[in-house]
Amino acid sequence: MTIDYSELLHAFRPEACLVAGALLVLGLDLATGRGRTAERRARNAALLGLLALAAALAATFAAAPTGPVAAGTMLLDPLARVTRTGVLGLALLVLAATPGTLRLPHAAEYVALLLFATAGFTLMAGTTSLLLGFVALELASVALYLLAGFDKSRPESAEAALKYFLFGAVAAAFLLFGFSLLYGLTGALELPGIARGLAAQPVSPLLLVAVVMVLVGFGFKAAAAPFHLWAPDAYQGAPAPAAALIASAAKLAGLAFFLRLLESGLTAPAADGPPAPWTGALAVLATLSLVVGNLAALGQGNVRRLLAYSAVAHAGALLLGVLVSGRAGPGPVVYYAVTYGLATVGAFLVLAVLDGQGGAQAHADLAGLRRRSPLLAGVLAACLLSLAGIPPFAGFLGKFLVFAEALKAGGPASLPGAIALLAIALSAVALYYYLIVLKEALVRAPAPGAPAIRVPAGAALSLIATVALLLALGLLPDLLLRRF
Amino acid sequence: MMHLPVQLTWLIPTLPAAAAAVIAVVPARRPGLGAGLALAALAGSLILAVLALGGALADPATRLTHTFTWFAVGHGAIRLGWLLDPLGTLLAVMVAAVGLLIFTFSLGYLREDPRAKQFFCFLSLFAGAMLGLLLANSLLLLFVCWELVGLASYLLIGFWFQRPAAAQAARKAFITTRIGDLGLLLGLVWLQDATGTLLLFDGGRGVLEAEALSTLAGATTVGGLAVSTAIGLLLFCGAAGKSGQVPLHVWLPDAMEGPTPVSALIHAATMVAAGVFLVARVFPLLAADLALPLAPVHALSVVAAVGAVTSLFGAAVAVAQDDIKRVLAFSTVSQLGYMMLAAGTGAWTAAIFHLLTHACFKALLFLGAGSVIHATHHEQDIRRLGGLRERLPVTGATFAVGMMALAGVPFLFSGFWSKEAILHAAHGWAVSQLPFLVALAAVALTAFYMTRLLAEVFAGAPRGHGAETAHESPAVMTIPLVVLAIASVSLGFLGTPWWPWLQRTLDPTFKAEAGGAGLMAVSIALVATGILAGWTRYGRHPRSDARAPDPLARSVPRLHGALAARLGCDELYAATLGRLNAALAAAASALDRSVWDGCVRFLARLGVYAGIVSRETDEKALNGGFNAAGDGLRASGRAYARTQTGDAHGYVWMLAAGFVLLALGALLGEAR
Repeated sequence: MTIDYSELLHAFRPEACLVAGALLVLGLDLATGRGRTAERRARNAALLGLLALAAALAATFAAAPTGPVAAGTMLLDPLARVTRTGVLGLALLVLAATPGTLRLPHAAEYVALLLFATAGFTLMAGTTSLLLGFVALELASVALYLLAGFDKSRPESAEAALKYFLFGAVAAAFLLFGFSLLYGLTGALELPGIARGLAAQPVSPLLLVAVVMVLVGFGFKAAAAPFHLWAPDAYQGAPAPAAALIASAAKLAGLAFFLRLLESGLTAPAADGPPAPWTGALAVLATLSLVVGNLAALGQGNVRRLLAYSAVAHAGALLLGVLVSGRAGPGPVVYYAVTYGLATVGAFLVLAVLDGQGGAQAHADLAGLRRRSPLLAGVLAACLLSLAGIPPFAGFLGKFLVFAEALKAGGPASLPGAIALLAIALSAVALYYYLIVLKEALVRAPAPGAPAIRVPAGAALSLIATVALLLALGLLPDLLLRRF
Repeated sequence: MMHLPVQLTWLIPTLPAAAAAVIAVVPARRPGLGAGLALAALAGSLILAVLALGGALADPATRLTHTFTWFAVGHGAIRLGWLLDPLGTLLAVMVAAVGLLIFTFSLGYLREDPRAKQFFCFLSLFAGAMLGLLLANSLLLLFVCWELVGLASYLLIGFWFQRPAAAQAARKAFITTRIGDLGLLLGLVWLQDATGTLLLFDGGRGVLEAEALSTLAGATTVGGLAVSTAIGLLLFCGAAGKSGQVPLHVWLPDAMEGPTPVSALIHAATMVAAGVFLVARVFPLLAADLALPLAPVHALSVVAAVGAVTSLFGAAVAVAQDDIKRVLAFSTVSQLGYMMLAAGTGAWTAAIFHLLTHACFKALLFLGAGSVIHATHHEQDIRRLGGLRERLPVTGATFAVGMMALAGVPFLFSGFWSKEAILHAAHGWAVSQLPFLVALAAVALTAFYMTRLLAEVFAGAPRGHGAETAHESPAVMTIPLVVLAIASVSLGFLGTPWWPWLQRTLDPTFKAEAGGAGLMAVSIALVATGILAGWTRYGRHPRSDARAPDPLARSVPRLHGALAARLGCDELYAATLGRLNAALAAAASALDRSVWDGCVRFLARLGVYAGIVSRETDEKALNGGFNAAGDGLRASGRAYARTQTGDAHGYVWMLAAGFVLLALGALLGEAR
């Protein structure tokens, strides 16, 4: 098999931009950083990183969707393109907000790690090979472990990184085991080959075990119950921008890989045949996540842990979207993931800005935010309302699309329909705990003597862009949906 | 001449709407900036609207449409669109032009108001939504804009919300129009269900095109009504609410609590005419049942009847009002009734003609009233005005022009021609002559009350302090008056029976009918009678002081009392619907508090409790259980497992257990 290198270069241009950017950031900081203030170095590194991300974004837009490339390990289809755009955009928002909010001694390394993680995400977005997919996943994960533990001045950060790493390593082991079983069953590493191999044999216990192992691995990535236990600790301890990336872009990229794997690799052989082997297990994960996430969030007094449990709940809705994506196409669930990612990034970036000025952990730390910084309060309100699914923010339409598809798939009596009804009922619970946070921010008076908050320019820009995107996608959902 | 590409139509409503958004965030201490932005944006819209009109007039028979997908759900898509045809673009030019004049007037009127910035923000929002309403090619988009103009109207009526009357009037306007809008919404939902689209024109598949119309007229529903009749009547509910038709007219006179420029723009010239516009827009749908001779009722007959009743009702009540703005408000109700009557008798072009001329002269009258109010330190009671002819010469002269246009003084004034067109249509209506006779009575009454208003305000001697010390308003307020006065005269010549340019442009199939001379003579005689009667009672012997009773109150006290009380509509509603509503609300509140609240509290407790249990099991019990099982491992890893919350080993155990359970479930499920 020959590989067309020019085609390869074309297909991997975004990744090339990111890796080159990361190396450039590191090299430049090493060469010129000595003697400059930490602030200056951080700014330069962030600027270079933004340039690399922008270049990767431009390359993604420039590449027309084509078929399989690189000997069938990548597929540049609309799903890949939208996911790449999404993860790059989310990374851009996170990085733009970093200078001025996160005071770190080794900013260049931080930026480089962020770029490496993003390269992992973009690879996951398009891969159709188990091997490349696993490598991409690990590239992203290892970078994220480091980012979670980057704030060496706080023990919580180290704790978060350690737990995330420990859990992630075990999940990766499950995933790899599952992949190797699939390879053993079908003799193929590329998804079309696996599908062909599985179509030729009956459903065996070994296949079921392999599928469940893969589900466990992805369940960890998506923080789906019962594999969610790392999330509250990691979200709480990690630096807020790193948590934002873990909660948003990593989920989107993981979702794309997962969708591809389930839909084109492990798909049911015939449309009206028996359901694919993963349906039942996926439904269990979705239901558990919805219930556990929403109910546990009620009892939280810490904003970040609340966001973590709400992430578990959203993972449940995402898995529901995956469950019905065979019928509806990937549009609704990817729309959900993108808008969820945007709102989460916005919320975490607000916390990041607050972290730079005294910290924000408990609900009470947000008291009087409206007085202290109208911008932050407004953005937080927009993002939480979007997470809760209130129009005109995009979160509403994401929920609407996914639930509508689930109900249409077989009516309220079918499995997806029943989960959708449960999810709708739990949305009311979710609104309650989001509103508790908003009450602190918008209604409560600030603690006496609490100073006004200065929002750094980059963060302000990034926050405004986040809300603008939430509104734009909410009002004109076709901007994204017509890409599919 | 350059034409606006239909793809760029969205710019026309977006410019003022964007201006509103920007004005909302500019600092309040720079009101000039906000006003300038509002004016500039609307001027831009006016230019674009004129270009669009040029494009639409170049070939009136073809409709320029641009549709786009808003979003796709499943296999269907919700599509919105823009439409450039003579009807929409002509009205858009009118709205932008009159709006620009009224924005200018507001610069002077609100010079000292500290919240002027907000005023211009709301006005711009209104202008954007109104222009969007006129240019929409989708009833859904129209409905969105429809509700937005309602919101802007609410905000502006209640602009001086510190005054209880203003706050109350704003609420009343919002709720009353909402009742009509419920009908409109139901109509839209039904229409979407019956035809699968809400686009007006869509290359043969729109709701106003032959295919959909024949489907709608062909199906019948409850009471033997054609579906098109039922949907048409539901849509007309919305139009009646917005356009102040009896019985939903009660909000419009109260809306005069808003600043006078608002009354001129929204509650006289543009928004209240949106109902007439809607009827004209969906006219093919309303007329679809005319081909069914056996239908129990035709939608257009209802429109005509409601219009006739409204025209007489408004004119009669206006006779006995003492507030300068209330007289004009009831006059607006009456004139909107005329327009509905015209549309109901099939002459929707005449309705639009009257809409255009009425917009100009009624805006002129309201701005004139605003100028009077401004000059006399907020004196609105005509009994305490008087003698303003010398003190406010420009206002007086232009107000007289507006009065003559509204009264229908022959030949020179635009109101005459548009009213003639309506009377002609009503006379030629095949179903009944009753609306025609009612309209004739309203013609005489209109001339009478307008003469009364002019005489009371401008003739005689001042009867109050405000009137004695009045001075002419600044140029920024009088120039719009002069411009509108010129338009009030000249617009009429666009639609005379000898050269019905407007009618032909709006409807290329329009044919001018001969033989209107006799009718014209009758209406001129009626106008002359009305003016003469008004002049003999109010002009020749002006009342001596503010407390002297009205001449009508002396001669027919009971009738005058009933009319002054607006024929008791508000009281009737308060006694019936208001009571009913209050009783229902009290019952609902009791049910809520005793039954539902208990249930909700119980559920909420349950939810919170479940949340706590779930957290505790996650973080304590499960971890604890696994801790006990994994003590050996735990000893080695105690260094990093001793954390503030969860325990890492427990987490991994949980993962393993989850895997085992899932795998077992999958295997068992498959084995079964």
